[in-house]
Amino acid sequence: MSLPNPIPPDTLSTTLSALADPTRRAVLARLASGDLSVTELAEPFDMSLPAVSKHLKVLERAGLIARGRDAQWRPCRLQASPLKDVADWVEHYRRFWEESLDRLDDYLQALQSKEKKHGRNKRKR
Amino acid sequence: MAGTNAKGEARGNFAEREVVITRIFDAPRALVFKAWTDPKHLKRWWGPKMFTNPVCEVDARVGGAWRIVMRGPDGVDYPCGGVYREIVEPERLVFTNIATDNDGNPILDGLTTVTFEEQGGKTKLTLTTRAVALVEYAAAYLQGMEAGWTQSLESLAEELAKL
Repeated sequence: MSLPNPIPPDTLSTTLSALADPTRRAVLARLASGDLSVTELAEPFDMSLPAVSKHLKVLERAGLIARGRDAQWRPCRLQASPLKDVADWVEHYRRFWEESLDRLDDYLQALQSKEKKHGRNKRKR
Repeated sequence: MAGTNAKGEARGNFAEREVVITRIFDAPRALVFKAWTDPKHLKRWWGPKMFTNPVCEVDARVGGAWRIVMRGPDGVDYPCGGVYREIVEPERLVFTNIATDNDGNPILDGLTTVTFEEQGGKTKLTLTTRAVALVEYAAAYLQGMEAGWTQSLESLAEELAKL
């Protein structure tokens, strides 16, 4: 990570690569209306159950969904907190720049008052 | 309508992830510009409060790289870097900020544009950072939602509202 950041970079990249796939985004959009089983999730896609399960594993690893414990039903549920991390990451830029620009302001003031002093000294001589 | 709100909010949260900051500096424009492109100056102010910059290398020309290693008050180093896309002295500076994962692979590119305007002896600085990869993913994410299942938008809005 290029900037001081509370989010471990590997977590962020996992979230982003999980979101990079259209099928996985569609899965997340469907889960937003409620928990669904793998079979229910697979229905609208022209895809085998194992292929859908593979996508679900990626989403699960990224923490974007959670799976129920029930062996029969194992519903998938949307988890929004990784999305919040992504949003925070950009907000982090704002804090970074605000603080840097504060320091730039102080530095420019110090630099100029030093130059003025030098200028005065030269004139005195 | 909740669905419309949902989409509006979602866009605000994701697709338009842009940071815009405007500041007036009581200093001549040439000096403010130099503070951004001369490593001697840059290392003195870059980064959050209490940070130092033990490494600050700047190749200030289009296509040239910049590399800064920031050191936090706790002694932890945070390397960052990028490439200059535009340099119009003393008006405009465009550069990338590359974020990498633990293996050094880039995961997100931030694109920062800084403009410097003269304003009665002072300098108005406008800074815009766009998280490039993030915006791309987010736009696609929203498209997936809209093309998909309308009944899901309302609950997604609830999730997004929690963010």
